[in-house]
Amino acid sequence: MSDPATLLWLVPAFPLAACIITAFLGPVLLRKQSHWPTILGAACSFGCSLLLLISLHGITDFHPQFHTNALTWFAIDNFEVHFGLQADALTAVMLVAVTFCGTMIAIFSSWYMHNEDGYPRFFAIMSLFLFSMTGLVLANNFIVLYAFWEGVGLCSYLLIGFWFTKPSAAAAARKAFLVTRLGDAGMILGIMLLWLHSADGTNFKRSLDLNEILLRAHSSPYVTTACLLLLCGAVGKSAQFPLHVWLPDAMEGPTPVSALIHAATMVTAGVYLVARCSPLFVLSPVAQLVVAIIGGFTALLAAAIALTQYDLKRVLAYSTMSQLGFMFLALGAGLRDGNLIVLAASAAIFHLFTHAFFKALLFLSAGSVMVSMGHVIDMRRFSGLRKVLPTTHWTFLCGAVALAGLPIFSGFWSKDLIMDAVMEAGESTSPYRAIYLILLVSALITAAMTAFYTFRAYYLTFHGEEKIPPEAFHHAGEGHSEVAHPAHAHGEMEHPKNFEQSMAQKLPLIVLAICALFIGLASVSLWHIVAFLGRSTAFHVDKPERHTNWLMMGLSTVGALAGLVLATWMYYWRPGTANEVAARVPKLYEWSLYRFRFDELYGYLIIGPLNVWAQICRFFDAIVDGIVDLVGLSPRLLARFLQLIQNGLVQFYALVTIVFVTAFMAILVIWFGR
Amino acid sequence: MIPLSSYLIVGAILFVLGMIGFLTRRNMILMFLCAEMMLQGVAINLVAFARHHGNLHGQVFTLFIITVAACEAALALALILMLYRTKKSLDVSLWQELREPGQEAILDLDEPVPELPREEPLPHLTPSGIAPPQKREDSYV
Amino acid sequence: MGDVLQFLAHWNLLLPLVLAAVGIWLLLPRPRNRAIVWGALCALAALILAGVFWVRWENAVSPEVVLFYAFSGMAILGGVALIAQKNPARAAVSFAVVVVNVCGLFLLQAAPFLMAASIIIYAGAIIVTFLFVLMLAQQQGFSSADDRSREPFLASFAGFVLLGSFLFVLDRTFPDPKHFSEFLDHLELAAQQRTVTEIKATLGDKDEVLNRLQREVRRYRGTEEGIKLQQGLDDLTAEWNARDPSEKEFQNALATIVDAGRKIEERNGRGNVPAANVAALGRTLFSDYLLAVELGGTLLLVATIGAIAIAHRRMERPA
Repeated sequence: MSDPATLLWLVPAFPLAACIITAFLGPVLLRKQSHWPTILGAACSFGCSLLLLISLHGITDFHPQFHTNALTWFAIDNFEVHFGLQADALTAVMLVAVTFCGTMIAIFSSWYMHNEDGYPRFFAIMSLFLFSMTGLVLANNFIVLYAFWEGVGLCSYLLIGFWFTKPSAAAAARKAFLVTRLGDAGMILGIMLLWLHSADGTNFKRSLDLNEILLRAHSSPYVTTACLLLLCGAVGKSAQFPLHVWLPDAMEGPTPVSALIHAATMVTAGVYLVARCSPLFVLSPVAQLVVAIIGGFTALLAAAIALTQYDLKRVLAYSTMSQLGFMFLALGAGLRDGNLIVLAASAAIFHLFTHAFFKALLFLSAGSVMVSMGHVIDMRRFSGLRKVLPTTHWTFLCGAVALAGLPIFSGFWSKDLIMDAVMEAGESTSPYRAIYLILLVSALITAAMTAFYTFRAYYLTFHGEEKIPPEAFHHAGEGHSEVAHPAHAHGEMEHPKNFEQSMAQKLPLIVLAICALFIGLASVSLWHIVAFLGRSTAFHVDKPERHTNWLMMGLSTVGALAGLVLATWMYYWRPGTANEVAARVPKLYEWSLYRFRFDELYGYLIIGPLNVWAQICRFFDAIVDGIVDLVGLSPRLLARFLQLIQNGLVQFYALVTIVFVTAFMAILVIWFGR
Repeated sequence: MIPLSSYLIVGAILFVLGMIGFLTRRNMILMFLCAEMMLQGVAINLVAFARHHGNLHGQVFTLFIITVAACEAALALALILMLYRTKKSLDVSLWQELREPGQEAILDLDEPVPELPREEPLPHLTPSGIAPPQKREDSYV
Repeated sequence: MGDVLQFLAHWNLLLPLVLAAVGIWLLLPRPRNRAIVWGALCALAALILAGVFWVRWENAVSPEVVLFYAFSGMAILGGVALIAQKNPARAAVSFAVVVVNVCGLFLLQAAPFLMAASIIIYAGAIIVTFLFVLMLAQQQGFSSADDRSREPFLASFAGFVLLGSFLFVLDRTFPDPKHFSEFLDHLELAAQQRTVTEIKATLGDKDEVLNRLQREVRRYRGTEEGIKLQQGLDDLTAEWNARDPSEKEFQNALATIVDAGRKIEERNGRGNVPAANVAALGRTLFSDYLLAVELGGTLLLVATIGAIAIAHRRMERPA
C-alpha cells in the first residue's frame, strides 16, 4: 500500500472488480443490493486517489510523478505499445474529483434507481465507467488513453440509452455516440500524426508515450495540425461548438448518469486532454487561439440558450457546456509567455475540479426534484418546492451560488482564475491579444448570464406558489394510489408525504453541498492547488508565483451579482416580468428557446444531404445487388441439373465415383503412359 | 516360375469383379461380400510383392487387411441387422431418404419381376406322440 | 485413324476385356431375358484368352504353373459366380470358393500363415456369420431386389476400362521377361564382334537400342544392378557418339550391361522369403509393426463394442 505504484494499479482495479462482480452476480445473486460493489469500489478507489494525492503533495520534487512498470500491450516490428500508468498533480486532482463524485453519485443512484429494471446493469456500467475514466486519466500513452477514451464513450452510450425501449433515449444515445465518434476520428488521426513525427528524424524508436512525445515536442508545421486534430476529439467529448448538439439530448439518461458522466467527469476528459497536451498546444499560437475562441463562443452560446429553457435538466446541461467553454477558454489563453501557461492550465483544471462538485450537486438535486415530482422536469409544471423538498432546496441553493460564482464560494475562485488568465493573455505580446480581450468581455457577460439562469432555475423551482404535478403522487409514492388522493391534484394540500425519506438521497446531497461551498476556498487557501497543479509534469516552467488580480475579481463579482439581482427581480419580486421581456424581443427569445436551431441547421446541412446520398447509394446498391443475385442464381440453375445425381442411392454415388476415377486413370495412362 | 505381373493381373481381375458386384448387386450382404472380394484382390497383390521383394512387409499388410476386414464385418453385420429390422428387407435401394428434397424416389417400375411358380406347400404333419387336435364338441371338457 | 490403329494394335489386351465385359453384363441378374449361356460363354472365352495372352511364365510347365492356373481360374470363376448369382446364399458359397482359391495363391507365394488365417477368418467365420444373417433375414425367400442389378452396363463398362488401364500399366512396367532375355542375348552377340562397324551393325538402330536401355535403367533405378546398368549405358553412349571408338571400350560397356542384366534376370521375382514363415512373420509383427499391432487390437476391441452397441435391441419407449 505504501508503494505509490501499487496505488496506481488499485485506483482503476477497484471499479473494474466491482464491474465484474456486478455484471456476473448482479442479476442472479445481488439483485436489489447490486449497488454495494459499485459504492465500495468507488469509495476504495477514492481512498487510493486521496492517498496518491497526499503522497504527491508531500513530494518536494519539482515534478512529482509516479510510474508503474510498463507492460507491453502489443508490438509491431519494433513499434511497441506499453500499457502503463502514471500519475502527477493533474492526474491526482482529476482522480480525486472523479472518484469522489462517483462515490456520492453511486450512493444517490441506489435511491434514485431503486425501482428500475436493470438495476444491476446500471451499476455494472457505472463501475465500468469509473474504471475507464480513471484509466483514461492515468494512461501514460496515447494509445492506452485512446482506448479508455472510447471506453468512457461506450459507457456514456450505454447509460444514455439505459431506457433503451424509449425511442428518444435510444436516439439520444446514438446521437451522442456518433457525434463524439466524429471528434474521435480526428483524435486518432492526431495521434497518428504525433506518432509519425515523434521519431524526430533520428533513430529514436517511435513511440506514443505521453512523456516522450511531450518532452520532445518542438515547433514544426505539423504541431498545429496535430493539435487541431486532438482538439477535434476534445471538442466532441466536451460538447463544444460545433459538436455540442449531443449533450442536451444526453439528458435522456437517468439523472445520476447526467450528473456523473455528462457534467462532472466524462465531458471534462476533453479539457484534461488539452491540458495534458498543453506543451504541444503552447507551440502553436493558432491552435491556442482556436481553443480559446471555441471555448469562449460555446460558453456564450450555451449560456444564451440556458436563459430560456424550461427543462431543469436542460438548463443544467447548457450550463455544463458553458462551464466547459470557460475551461477551454482558459486553456486557450495559455500562451508561451512567462507563467501564463501554468496559470491558464491550472485555472482550467481548477475550474474542472470545483465544477465537478457543484455540477454533480445541482444535477443530483435536480434528480431529487425529478423523482419527487414523478419524473416531471418541466419547470412550468411545478414551483414553490422549498417546503416540500427542504434538503434539496438548500443543497440546490448551495450549488447555485457556487455555479454563479458568488464570492468565497467555489465557482468564484476558479472562474476568477480563468478571467485572470484570459486577461493576461490579452495583455501579453501575442499578435492575437485583441481577440483575447474580446473573449474576456464575452466571458464577463457569460458569467453574468450564468448567475442569471442559475437563479432563474432556482426561483422557478423552489419559490412562488406551491404547485406539484399530479404525476408526483402516483409515481413517487409507494402506498399512495391515485384514487386515494384525488385532492392533491387540485393543489389544496397539507404536504401529502415526506418526499425526502432516504438517507441515500440526502447524504450525497449534503456532502456535495458542503464541498461545493467550500472546496474552492479550501483548495486555494489551505492547499495551494494552483501551485500544486503548476508542478504537474505537463508544464515545464519555473515555479509559478501566485498573484491576485483584484480588478478581475471585482468585475466578475459585479457581473455575478448583477445576474443574481436581475433573476431575483424578474422571478421573485415581480414574477411575470420575464414574459414581458420575452414579448419585447420575440425573435431573440425564440432563437434562444429553440437553441439557436442548431439541430435543424445540422439537419439541413448534414443529415439531409447524407439522406440524399444514402438514397443514391441505395439505388446503386439495388443494381449491384441485382447483379450479385444474378451471379447467385446461375449456380442455382446449374444445381437444378446437378441435383439429379443426388438421388440418395449409395450405389449410384459409388458408381459416379468409380466412373470418374476410372476416367481419370484412363486419361493418365493414355497421356502419360506412352 | 510365375512372374510377379501374373499375380498382379489376377489381383486386378478380382478387384474389378468385386467392384462391379458392389455397384450392381442390391442385397446389402452381397455388397459387403463383394467389398471383401476387392480386399482379396489387394491381398494377392501385397503377398506377391512380398515375395518379389523378398521380405515380409506385404504379408504383414495383408494380415492387417484381414484384421480390418474382421472389424468391418462385425460392424457391417450389426448395421445390416439394424437396417433390416427397420425395413424388413436387405434391399439397399429402400434407403433413399438422403436424396435432394423434391427429388422423386427411384423405384423399380420398368420391368416387373415375373411371378415364380409357387412351390407346392409341404404338408403339415402331426408331430408324433401327441394326440391330434379334436373338434370342440368332441372334447371332454 | 492412326490413333485408332495404334489402339487396336493392343488387340490381345482388348479382346478378352471386351469379351469379359459383355459376358459379365449378360450374366448380371435381371428380371428377364437373361442370356446366361451367352454370357457364360463370353466370360469363359475371355478367361481362356486372358490366360493365354496375359499370363506369363517361363518355358517349362511346372507344377507351379498348373497350380497357378487352377487357383486363379477357380478364384475368378468364383468371383463371377458371386456377382452373377441371384441366390445370396449361393453367392456366399461362391465367395468361400474365391477365398479358398486365393489362399491357394497365397501358398504359391510362400505365405502359409496367411493362407491358414484367411481360411479360418473368411471361410470359417465371416461367411458362416453372413449365412446366418441371410437365413435370418430371408426366411420368406428371396426378395425381388436380388433379381435386379443397378446399372449393369455402366458398371461393367467402367470396371473393365479400369481393368484395362491396370493391365496397360502392368504391361508397361513389367514387360515380358522373355523380351529382356532376348535383348540381353542380342547385346551379348554384339559384344562378341571384332570391329566397331560389326558391333554397330549387330546392335542395329542406335536410338532404338539406347532408348530400350534407358527404359530398363529407369525400371531398376536405385538398385545395385541399376547403377551398373547406368554405367554401362553411359559408356556405351559415349562410345557410340565418339569420333574414333575403340572396339575394346565398346565390348567392355556391353559386357557391363549384359552382366548387370543377367543379375537382374536372376533376381527378378525370386526374392527369398524366410522359410520359417510363421516365426519370421511373428518377428516382423512384434518388432517393426508393434505399434500397428497394438492399434489393430484396439481397433478390434472398438469394433466389437461398436457392433454390440449398434445391434443391441433397445427397449422401445412407449411414445
